[in-house]
Amino acid sequence: MRVLLGLVRRDAGAVRLLGCDLHSTAGPLPDGVAGCVETPAFYPYLSGRRNLSLLARLDGDNQIAASDAVGSLLEQVGLAAEADVAVGGYSAGMRQRLGLAAALLRSPRLLFLDEPTSALDPAGAREVRTIARRLADEGAAVVLSSHDMAEVEQLCSVLTVLNHGRVVFSGSIEELRTLAPAAVHALLRTSDDRAALDLASQRAGVKAQLVPATDDGGLEVSADIEALDAYVIALGREGVAVRALECRPRSLESLFLDLTRHDRAVDTSVVALPTLQDDSRASAVVS
Amino acid sequence: MNVPGFLAAAGVECSKLVAQLKVRIMFVACLAGPIAFAVAMRVQSSVPSDTLFGRSVTESGFAVPLVVLGFAALWAFPVLASVVGGDLFSAEDRYGTWKTVLTRSRSRADIFAGKVLAALLFSLLSVVTVAVSSVAAGVLVVGPQPLIDLSGTLVSPAQALIRVALAWLSVLPPAFGFTALAVALSVGTRSSAAGIGLPVVAGLLMQLCAFVDGPEVVHRMLITSAFVAWHGLFVESPYYGPLVYGTTVSGVYFVVCLVVAYRMLRRRDIGG
Repeated sequence: MRVLLGLVRRDAGAVRLLGCDLHSTAGPLPDGVAGCVETPAFYPYLSGRRNLSLLARLDGDNQIAASDAVGSLLEQVGLAAEADVAVGGYSAGMRQRLGLAAALLRSPRLLFLDEPTSALDPAGAREVRTIARRLADEGAAVVLSSHDMAEVEQLCSVLTVLNHGRVVFSGSIEELRTLAPAAVHALLRTSDDRAALDLASQRAGVKAQLVPATDDGGLEVSADIEALDAYVIALGREGVAVRALECRPRSLESLFLDLTRHDRAVDTSVVALPTLQDDSRASAVVS
Repeated sequence: MNVPGFLAAAGVECSKLVAQLKVRIMFVACLAGPIAFAVAMRVQSSVPSDTLFGRSVTESGFAVPLVVLGFAALWAFPVLASVVGGDLFSAEDRYGTWKTVLTRSRSRADIFAGKVLAALLFSLLSVVTVAVSSVAAGVLVVGPQPLIDLSGTLVSPAQALIRVALAWLSVLPPAFGFTALAVALSVGTRSSAAGIGLPVVAGLLMQLCAFVDGPEVVHRMLITSAFVAWHGLFVESPYYGPLVYGTTVSGVYFVVCLVVAYRMLRRRDIGG
């Protein structure tokens, strides 16, 4: 994303944004392109309003128009009350919102958002998603980079999964689902969940885990349809009654893990890092 | 680089500087320092007789700015020239704001030129402030009497004022040279301590070199020599050779430091 925003030189290839070639890191960002990389940073001794006004001047906006736009954007991102407070006193979430306002100041037709909700509370994250959705509805392309698969699933229509810098999937979420193995995900409720779990562990092709009792209990089961049929019949033979079997679409997270599993396994064995999925990320377009 | 972009970036930098407490304190010190010095000279019985024009400091108000100039050339100018230039670039690293300013509608050349212009403007204003303050303090506290120059000739007040102004003007090129050096160190080290501190240390080392016998070419390459080139203006037959040479050396420092600094910034990757 830093290459696309002209912050880091590319090793190879070309970057073309809204029809403009980005030749090097030395030039300005093309009009209509904006971005917010990781936690946004501002001058801590200036207020949020002053920071945005200076950025508007860098964009070449005249002072009166910029002042109106800054006020309106601060209101949109929920910072109107703290607009004249020095940014040094802002929380990480407030800086994230100010970063979004700074990006929106450029009236983007192409907006890059890198982990835009990582530092936000649920309400703040929801506001950011609403703004991203609204921009997309108005015709802008929003490129979102995130490790939060639930967020990607909720917001995005097209996604690209990168694993160690290589594209392992690119397409719509529906296309990703069709590529997935024919495994069925189901929520199973039985008369004896513990016995059902023991039986699942003895059967090839059936994966199961208990759902906490606080979430009404039961088991989450993944299996091919034939294996699931055989497992349900076996439960009856063992005297475990099936009270409910609810098939569910696979979550994006499980599909993502399937796509990156092989590389993670290899790398984990080499460098012994248990969280190597941090190197795998999905970037997706909200459209 | 286009002119509006470069000026917009300079305007933004100036707005940021004005908002900083340290910059305001520096200007108050530039304004009040010479006045305090003139008042102290007026009140005390002794004079700084081992300093150029020190003996005349209570006899002509025009000697005050020259004594201040002699002192500032040794200690204050490297600091004044570096305090902004040595911090403007590294402050972006400290605050992590490169990614914020470089994702706008301005090229790196615009941002670089704007920052350099702001640093030069600060150096210019600080030197002019000290000059105006010391002339005003001398004239108001001591009086506008004629000045005895280094040849022992009496110089009229009007002529003395012109020569004092030229002397202060002559320190601008080396001050700008130090600003450029501070900019290069600020970009290269990404540290404000190095950007501000190293030019001051370099200035002191150059002063020491000037006292030590050594090859003439080394002495001529010292930018600090340009800070004392104004002495030639205060003799019966003024000579301008050191002024021209000092300005040329300052120009070489200025161009080389800025070219190196820009190349470093242009090629830099702004990582996490």
